[in-house]
Amino acid sequence: MFDDLEFCRQLGVQQTALSLWIEEGWIRPESSAGVWRFSAIDLARGRLIVDLRGAMGVNDEGVAVILHLVDQLHGLRSALHGIAASQATPSGRS
Amino acid sequence: MAAADPYDLLGVARDASQKDIQKAYRRLAKQSHPDLNPGDKTALGKFQELNAAYDILSDETKRAQFDRGEIDASGAEQPQRRYYRDFAQGDSGSPRYETSSGFSDFADADDVLSAYFSRAGRHGFRLRGEDRRYRLEVDFLDAVNGASRRITLPDGSSLDVVIPPGARDGQTLRLAGKGEPGPEGGEPGDALIEIAVRSHPFFKRDGYDINLDLPITLGEAMLGGEVTALTPTGSVMVTIPKGSNTGRVLRLKGKGVPRRDGTRGDEHLTLRVTLPEPPDADLEAFVAKWSAEHPYDPRRRMGT
Repeated sequence: MFDDLEFCRQLGVQQTALSLWIEEGWIRPESSAGVWRFSAIDLARGRLIVDLRGAMGVNDEGVAVILHLVDQLHGLRSALHGIAASQATPSGRS
Repeated sequence: MAAADPYDLLGVARDASQKDIQKAYRRLAKQSHPDLNPGDKTALGKFQELNAAYDILSDETKRAQFDRGEIDASGAEQPQRRYYRDFAQGDSGSPRYETSSGFSDFADADDVLSAYFSRAGRHGFRLRGEDRRYRLEVDFLDAVNGASRRITLPDGSSLDVVIPPGARDGQTLRLAGKGEPGPEGGEPGDALIEIAVRSHPFFKRDGYDINLDLPITLGEAMLGGEVTALTPTGSVMVTIPKGSNTGRVLRLKGKGVPRRDGTRGDEHLTLRVTLPEPPDADLEAFVAKWSAEHPYDPRRRMGT
């Protein structure tokens, strides 16, 4: 776990940018006693945002759409993994 | 390992412009970014190759060196990067980010998948409760200045919601762990509270700025003067400069909506010169006489 200064340093972004990302819900760090705590998954997600907004030329609206779809995709993927696991003991439908 | 030719990788000609190279990179990056293609095992390698190629060709110096054969296509060693997908599809998943909205309708449908999805919802491979969604209407000034509200839930329990200063219409607040309890002792879901900001009779919000139409008398417009103006934090005295027309905008710095960093936007007062109602006979007589002696044409630039 690390704080927002370290997060911004590792990604090379401004703190105002991070504030916006958090406000938009793109990054959802844990917070304890009013202090943001970031973990490796937040950092990896931040790198994706940096890729999208930087070299890939996606604007902020586009980033929001992409993240929403990526989150749905992972939700679906884990649901499918669950189904695959449940195939071992299938529950029959009447 | 001999790396492929960067021009071939990007599919551009040797004399391609920077714009064409950037266009090609963006097109290919969409198809191979590991986080946009979480199921594609080959994406990682492709994306790394693509980035190495773009790294050379997007930099005119490196590109010239490559063209002269001074550097080869393998480029610099890149530090190992952990992609978002590596976390998002780990055993623990990413309950903070993952959403079931992509398949929540499946559980209701009467098809062959519904049994699986509703089972997944009940017994939960993630063992996490559902999120609950609420909508909270707040007054304009409560959204600007912040407030706390207690919501009473259908089951009689209540939820304290702190509306942060500067909350926007449509913004969603997340109260971690205040959703449905997790099945089989799992983590509860979150409460998601969508803020609906009521309109204000006088204030209009524009990002972090606030706009207000300020009516002033003919005398205040012509001669200037001190008037009282509303701001979100109370009334302030404002000096109207002499000779102010309707439409003139006065800026009250720092009287707008608070930002997260503690600064505030501005309030913009648009002056509206307002004639007395009902019309005043003396003023009418004076203006009739004055107008006849001092003609002017405020529409001359319109060419009518």
